Amino acid sequence: MAGGLLQIHDPLKPRGHAVGIDLGTTNSLVAAVIEGKPRAFPVDEGGSLLLPSVVHYAQDGSVIVGARARVLAAAEPTSTIASVKRFMGKGPEDAETKALGAYHFATGGAVVRFQVKGGPPVTPIEVSAEILRTLKRRAEAALTGKVEQAVITVPAYFDDAQRQATRDAGRLAGLEVLRLLNEPTAAALAYGLDKGSQGRFAVYDLGGGTFDISILELVEGVFQVKSTGGDSALGGDDFDRAIAARFLEAHGVAAPDAAQVTELLAAARSAKETLTHQETTELSALGKTFRVSRAEMDSWIAPLLQKTGVACRRALKDSGITREELDGVILVGGSTRVPAVRKFVAQIFGKEPLGDIDPDQVVALGAAVQADLLTNRERQDEVLLLDVIPLSLGLETMGGVAEKLIPRNSAIPTAAAQVFTTFQDGQNALDVHVVQGERELVTDNRSLARFRLSGIPPMPAGMARVEVRFEVNADGILSVSAKELSTGVSQAITVKPTHGLTDEEIERMLLDSIEHAEEDIHVRLLREQQVEADRILHDARKQLATFSDLLPEDERREVEAAIDRVAKLRDSATESQVLADAIKALDDVSRPFVERIMNRAVGTLLEGRQVDEV
Amino acid sequence: MRCWSCQAEVGGADACPACGKVQPVAPGTTLFDVLGLPRGVDVDKAALERAYRERSLRLHPDRAGKDDPRERRLSLERTALLNEAYRTLRAPEPRAFYLLKLHGLDLVKDEARAVTVPPNVLEEVLELREQLDSARSAGDEDLVSALSDRVRVQSAAALSAAGSALRRLESNPGDAAARDEAAQALVRLRYHHRFLEAAEASDEDNL
Repeated sequence: MAGGLLQIHDPLKPRGHAVGIDLGTTNSLVAAVIEGKPRAFPVDEGGSLLLPSVVHYAQDGSVIVGARARVLAAAEPTSTIASVKRFMGKGPEDAETKALGAYHFATGGAVVRFQVKGGPPVTPIEVSAEILRTLKRRAEAALTGKVEQAVITVPAYFDDAQRQATRDAGRLAGLEVLRLLNEPTAAALAYGLDKGSQGRFAVYDLGGGTFDISILELVEGVFQVKSTGGDSALGGDDFDRAIAARFLEAHGVAAPDAAQVTELLAAARSAKETLTHQETTELSALGKTFRVSRAEMDSWIAPLLQKTGVACRRALKDSGITREELDGVILVGGSTRVPAVRKFVAQIFGKEPLGDIDPDQVVALGAAVQADLLTNRERQDEVLLLDVIPLSLGLETMGGVAEKLIPRNSAIPTAAAQVFTTFQDGQNALDVHVVQGERELVTDNRSLARFRLSGIPPMPAGMARVEVRFEVNADGILSVSAKELSTGVSQAITVKPTHGLTDEEIERMLLDSIEHAEEDIHVRLLREQQVEADRILHDARKQLATFSDLLPEDERREVEAAIDRVAKLRDSATESQVLADAIKALDDVSRPFVERIMNRAVGTLLEGRQVDEV
Repeated sequence: MRCWSCQAEVGGADACPACGKVQPVAPGTTLFDVLGLPRGVDVDKAALERAYRERSLRLHPDRAGKDDPRERRLSLERTALLNEAYRTLRAPEPRAFYLLKLHGLDLVKDEARAVTVPPNVLEEVLELREQLDSARSAGDEDLVSALSDRVRVQSAAALSAAGSALRRLESNPGDAAARDEAAQALVRLRYHHRFLEAAEASDEDNL
């Protein structure tokens, strides 16, 4: 039974390319190992490697992802979803969810749903899947081949529900998720830690919306995560907010609307970026300006940095490694470009951080390395990665106390079991409440799932013995099963997170998206041919009227018949190919005619020039 | 025991010596067996780390059972068990609880209720918790850390008492007095542990 609940797949089945994906709060990237080296791929026509994690839902039902969507955010803040990662695995009632700004949420249901234009409300999983689909397509274009497998990174501090949501988004985008890899671990892998190298590293990862710290040790080909910690709701976006708040304060703006907030945050972000290489800058938004110095910004973000410092000290303590024993500190995430952050990290760990790899790319590159390690037989005997769970897993016991079954920083995959008993005579059911977190009281921890084990045979109180078993797979995702031991009545229950989607819902979305994808491509191809038909009809009719003297009677009849056929199919064809064939027929029969027109035109042109030149 | 794949004799090994396939866990396997360490109160830490790495490299699902669904499942189970052994035996406290469990008393389960704690121990624990709560609400961090230091000393004493009782129990499994003494010490240790966790939560911001 132990392995029965865990998903089994065959990662070595040759299935196109395997890529690494950094699904970030602000930007997302896709990379793969090519000829032994990880490389990130361009995600737009401009060659940028960073795809802004912004998804716009247009009135006509189309979906725009990336830089173009970000441009639309100011004009259409409620239909343009940014920082969707912050909503992953969250319930609509989460206080944090409500604080996250400009969106309109659909009511009801266990999952956050954004009300957007052009269609029904969308969940964060669907929004993330749009980003993943775009990355998949870009990678396929760059690799000129199918991409079906991916390692997707998540913040180490993501809880079970957030991990499930990320995995579901991958599935929805048509990717087999080989592994959910913790971002700091990915970064450490990217630093080319080959079989021969040894050492202890701290990875400080400050992204747009999340903060992670991990302590890792590499010995004899085993890369072991010793401890991890962080804050899944703290990042560079908070720096922008801190700046924006001062702006509003200085100008006495009490209640900015959604569009104003979006505009101001964009201005604040660009001011922050400017201050990494300039001492002062001026930001303008809402028709007003505001001067900020680097020193001022540093003082505003200092409390946020202090929060990361607490997590760093705790991670060091949990790892049993002192800061003097560390061989290097790795920086990850665009927010570590802020000079105050670098200074803070150097001070916390007592050494200058490493910076050879672009902090924006390092996670995606590491994910690509892991994807290669998992799928490429020739690399099977290289580094083995042993990751941990970030938060303790436990059960609610009497008095609302959380009993930990698997402590935080336990290596995964792992399992643990605990036996419970009934407390009333004849009790035939037992409620099981699964929680995640470090606090003593259940109410202070994250509720993952509740279920009822029923069908316990009637017995005196204390006689039934129910074993609840936790299993955490290599992605850090939990399954729970329960069985009554004294009678052997066993019942396996796979728990879905409280704020997740059911398998049926995912399945339906998957089918919908495939149907729509086919429908969409069909409609698009037909539309393209209709545009082409309009163009060729317009040209042919015009030429027929203008150059009738160049067309013998028998040819004219053929061309006119072909024109009629295209005109008729322009509106009646449902298959793009039928219309395309008619267009080609018209093109073929009118070719001699068009050549004569061209010859005459060239002749006229030459004559004209001769006249001019004389 | 014979290998499920090639029928060679495996003799309780985690992988078949002939074909290398990962084998099911034999009944009665202890967490010490899982790491190939001698059973006891004291463990050679370097040997434990080495054994853990060596076994992970052989048994982890990223390495073993790529071609065979059955072996993959076994590899997953083996690795989960290996990680449990590592987590349990690495630190002396969970190791002591585990040894007592091997002697038939699982304090993590309901059996903890069967251990009678002397009233003076309970009283002291309750009193310490009250002092911690009032120190915390008064913001007296010095008192919080003084209380924590005191409990840490007591906790070390309890662990050492549990250790010597468990050593006696290991050499003479029928020694009921030693078993009781170990249980008493570990129940005390657990109270201390909970106290320290609560204290830590309160001074987290001052780390």
